[in-house]
Formats: sequence, C-alpha cells, structure tokens
Amino acid sequence: MLTAHQAGAANATQIPHLLVIDDDREIRDLLALFFEREGFRVTGARDAREGRRLIQSGTFELVVLDLMLPGESGLDFARWLRTQTPTPVVMLTAMAEDSDRIAGLELGADDYVAKPFNPRELLARVRAVLRRTGERTAEAPARSIGFAGWVLDPLRRRLLNPEGVEVALTGGEFELLGTLVERANRVLTRDMLLELLRGRQAGPFDRAIDVAISRLRRKLEDNGRQAQLIKTVRGGGYVLAAEVTRN
Amino acid sequence: MLLVGLVIVQTAGLTIHAFDRLDLQRLAQLHDAAQRTMNLYRGLALLPQGEPLTGRASILTEDDQTLHLSDAPPDEAFTPTPPEMVRQLAAEMQLVPIPVLMRPRDMVFLGGGGDFENVLVIGLRFPDGVWMHLRTELVTPRPWHSFNFLVAFAMMTLAAGGLSLWAVRRLTRPVVVLARAAERLGRDVNAAPLPERGPAEVTMAAAAFNTMATRIRRFVQDRTLMLTAIGHDLRTPITRLRLRAEFVEDEVQRRRMLADLDELEAMVSATLTFGRDAAVEEAVVRLDLAELLRTILDEAVDMRLDLEGLIGMDGPEHLTVSARPLALKRALSNLVGNAINYGGGVQVRLGGPVATLAGAMVTILVEDRGPGIPQTDVERMFQPFQRLEASRNRETGGVGLGLPIARNILRAHGGDVTAENRTDGPGLRVRVTLPV
Repeated sequence: MLTAHQAGAANATQIPHLLVIDDDREIRDLLALFFEREGFRVTGARDAREGRRLIQSGTFELVVLDLMLPGESGLDFARWLRTQTPTPVVMLTAMAEDSDRIAGLELGADDYVAKPFNPRELLARVRAVLRRTGERTAEAPARSIGFAGWVLDPLRRRLLNPEGVEVALTGGEFELLGTLVERANRVLTRDMLLELLRGRQAGPFDRAIDVAISRLRRKLEDNGRQAQLIKTVRGGGYVLAAEVTRN
Repeated sequence: MLLVGLVIVQTAGLTIHAFDRLDLQRLAQLHDAAQRTMNLYRGLALLPQGEPLTGRASILTEDDQTLHLSDAPPDEAFTPTPPEMVRQLAAEMQLVPIPVLMRPRDMVFLGGGGDFENVLVIGLRFPDGVWMHLRTELVTPRPWHSFNFLVAFAMMTLAAGGLSLWAVRRLTRPVVVLARAAERLGRDVNAAPLPERGPAEVTMAAAAFNTMATRIRRFVQDRTLMLTAIGHDLRTPITRLRLRAEFVEDEVQRRRMLADLDELEAMVSATLTFGRDAAVEEAVVRLDLAELLRTILDEAVDMRLDLEGLIGMDGPEHLTVSARPLALKRALSNLVGNAINYGGGVQVRLGGPVATLAGAMVTILVEDRGPGIPQTDVERMFQPFQRLEASRNRETGGVGLGLPIARNILRAHGGDVTAENRTDGPGLRVRVTLPV
C-alpha cells in the first residue's frame, strides 16, 4: 500500500523514506500527507505483519511506530526490527505510559512522542533523529552513565547525586547535561548547544543556554568561584571535565 | 483499671477465705477446749476417793487453763455463752467416754461470746456435788498476720495480673492489626490482605475486611479501566484533528483549532491522571525536595519570562525526602501553576522537618499575591471539576482537576494540602505537608 508519490529514481536517495505503522487508517493517511508536504516519502502499514513485509522488501530511513497495535505489539515489532536493520525508530506511545516508553527506549528506539502528539513535534523529532543517524554508534543505549560520583539515567531521565538522592532536572537541563556527558572532555560550542535547546524554551535562546548552564552548575554543586565540572571555554563553549563510565 | 479491679477481686476472695478460716479456727479451739475439759473431768472423777484433787489438777491443766474446785457453780459476771457454741461444746463433750455413774450432773457455760469472747469458763458438777471450774483462754484468730499469707497474696495478684494482661493483649492484638490494615488500605488499595486465622471472631473480622478491600480494589480497577479506555479512545480523534488542522489554510483559524485541541487534550490528560491511582505505579525514591521545587519554579520562569521577578523561593539548599518523583512533581507543579495563573506570581517557602504525631513532616507554603478566594470556597477548590468561575477567568484554562490531583497525590504520600487566604495582605496561601 504505497501512498507516496513516486519520486524520480535520481531523487530517491535525497528524499527520506518513512515507514509509518499505525492501525488507524486515517492517521496513516494524514501523516503521509503531512510528511509528504514536508518533503518525505511515506509508506503506511496497518500492523506488525504488514510492517515486517515492507521492511524486508524495501529500504526506509526511519520507522514511525505506534506501540498500541492490534495483534503483535509494537514493542515486539521493535525488538524484531533491531535484529534486522539499524533503521532508526520513533515511537508513538500512549499518554504517559512510562513503562512502554522506557521499554521502547531500552530496545533501541531513538525517540518517542506521546499520543495525541503534535504533528510538528513529531516532525522535529524525526528530523533530529535522521540528523543524528549519521553519527550513531551501534552500541546499546546506556542504562546509567556515571561522572564525578553522579549518575545519569538516560532512559528514565533521572539524575542521582553521589548519595543516591534524585535531583530534579527540567527537560532542557536534561538534554544539555546528556549532551555534555555524551561528549565529555570535548568542547561544545554554544551553537551546538543552542541547536539542542531549540523549541524547549519560550525565551531568547542565547540567554537560555547561560541560564541552563548556571542552573546545572548549581544542581551539580559546581558553582564555586571557578567551576570545575562544567568549564567555560574562552570563545563561547562549554566542556564537561570528568571521567565518564557507562553501564 | 483492669489491675485495680483484679486487686479488689483478689482482696475480696482472700477476705472470704480469711473469715472462713476464722470460723474453722474457732471451731477447732472449741473442739480442743471441750476435749480437754472432759479429759480433765474424767481424770479427776476417776481419782480414788480421798486423794487431794487440787494437787493432781495442777498436773493435768496447761498454761492457758486455770482450774479450781468449789461448792458453787461458776458465777463470774460474764455474758452467757452463745447457744450455738454451747451446743457445739456439749456435743464434743459427749464424745469423751465416761462411765455413766461418773458423768457430770450439771454443766454451766460462761464467756466465749460478746465482750468476753477470749475467755471460756466451763463449770461441771461431780456426782458428789463439788463443782469444777475450768477457765480456758481462747486464742484470738488472726487471719492477716501470717507471712505466708502475704506472700501468697502477692504471688496470686501478680500471677492473675500477668495472665490477664497476656489475655487482653492476645484479644486486642487482632484489633490493632485490623486498624493498621485499614490505615494501609487507605494509602494503597493494593495492600496485602489480612491473614484469616486466630479465634473465630477474629477470622470473621479479617475475612470481612478482606472482602471489603477486594470490592474497593475492584471498584478502583473498574474506574481506572473505564478512564483509560475513554482516554485511549479520545487519543485517536484528537490526533486526527491535530493532523487535519495542519492543512487548514487560514493561519488564524488553524492556531485557534490547535489551541482548542491543546485544551481538549489537557482535559483528557488531567481526567486520566485523576482517574489513575498515581500512588500505585511509581516507586518511592529518595529525592531532593528543595531542588525539585527550584526546578519547578525554573520551568515556570521559562514559560513566563515576564514574571521572572515575581517567582521566588525561600528555604534550605537541600532537603531529602522519600517520594514518587513524577507524581510529586506533578502535584507541586499544579500548585505552582495555579498560583501563577490566578495570582500572577508565586513565592514558595520550604520549611525544615518538624516532628509531629505522624512523624517528621516538612511544610511547603505556596503563596501568591492575587485576589485570593472567598473563604466559603476554600474547601471546594480541592473538589474535582469545581472551577471558581466567579473569581477566576475561563481563559486561564483547565478543567478544575489540578488541585484535586495535587491533593490525591500528596495524601497518597501521607501528606496533605490545604488553602487559606493570607492574613499579611491579599493573596492565597496553599500549605503542603509531606513526611520526610
């Protein structure tokens, strides 16, 4: 069931091809229209069986997968998919079903949006995942990342202090810290960080970076006269200076 | 209370016993006096004629007895012996065998009752007409003056007290267990059932309690299932509408549609959150409450940069509590959001742990400088779907579930939330208590 318009063979490599697996026909068709307008090619599948057939017969840059599927569940499909291909997955999860979200991310899904989702948010996530795919590593997502006694749990989006007490982070702070830890001991320019926080803040972005960094330093108790953990690099960048361990 | 009762019963019992003993003692004394009197009489009566009676008599008598012979019956001014006692004495005296010819021709009893109960005088007339006067000192029975008696009393009281305490504990323990189970059920509807064993009444009570808990659990599950189903069914049409809105050409109409959809989704999501028993799903962890509050305020500032100077917090740098992080964040965010939406700013005050009957509690005050609310509506604020339209603007959104959700979550944590109008100026003060 190909709803995508046929792009010329020469263009096929530039136009990303999405596989949308959702049991609601209207949502599939509307997503196809929406993504095609944004410059994607979309193929829809009704359930896991159809999705499996399409995966085996074609190539897709990304799979948009509803976890609530009739018959074989979306999680089972995602598990199967991981054994077949490194194609990235963005999950559509039920509202606030944390367990599904965590299970999906543990299985290697790249991102998720909660239903009923905002189409523009889905679009932004899909684009971000596609952009990241180039630098993706094959390793499984870490369950916990340790640095300077602190522990970051990327799946549950939690930060634990050296005493094991949970310290709350805003969404933006989490993304920022995650990026700093991911690329520890490497200088991250303000532009890179700005890109990351875009869309999460209501205010001017450049101010948001400084605010988020200073809040992170406060939370990491790194707010002495000379910050030791998140260092400011002359010329507009930051670096997380710590030994990082992954589990 | 119980012990006082026990002591009274013990004392009464022992008193009865003591009086009984007194009667017995008196009876034994009478028996003894009668026997000795008759033995003495026989000894004297059987003496060969002409022997000096007095000399032999002194050999036969003992320390508590005095004997003398006379031609007249005893005439001491004693009250006459009570008839009951006379009958007893006479009966006892008949038991001593004496040849018929030698038997006393007459008997007189004096004393042993009334004012002279310790002295008994018995007069017996020999066949030859001489009277024998025998005076016996009766020992006053003293039921309380015995060391053994005191020891026995103490031991019996202690034993009875100990046994009663043990029995009472045994009887009341199931009630305590039941009370604890009811308390647990109030916090967690999935709490483990009571063991149904012990005495029949206890088993019955436990079974009834478990049946009740099962019914409540089924009710909660039904409600949760229903709400989840509604939420799930609404998700699909809302998603479709969102997608359709993307194809609406008119920019203004499109934005309005999306805003309506956001509101609809917020309502569904709030209803789902309210319906779901948030307490049962998330694990309790140690978290930094001070940092959580700061994060919530930071997020609030991010949303409303125009209010930055009106959002602030007083309190310690760190304060660790045990809680369910997402649920607690939702509850506190609702309170902070409420203050910002209706009060145009918020000041949060976090107070350190204070010992109370229910354990150490921290207090969080969420204060705004808005118009406050009428005193009569304060409690209504925490009831579901109650929007105080008179004083609050529809544009601020919501379905009237923010505060009820916050209250449910905080109560599930063993804390509470109340509200009052500020006395130090206009505005509302919401007071949260939370166990450490």
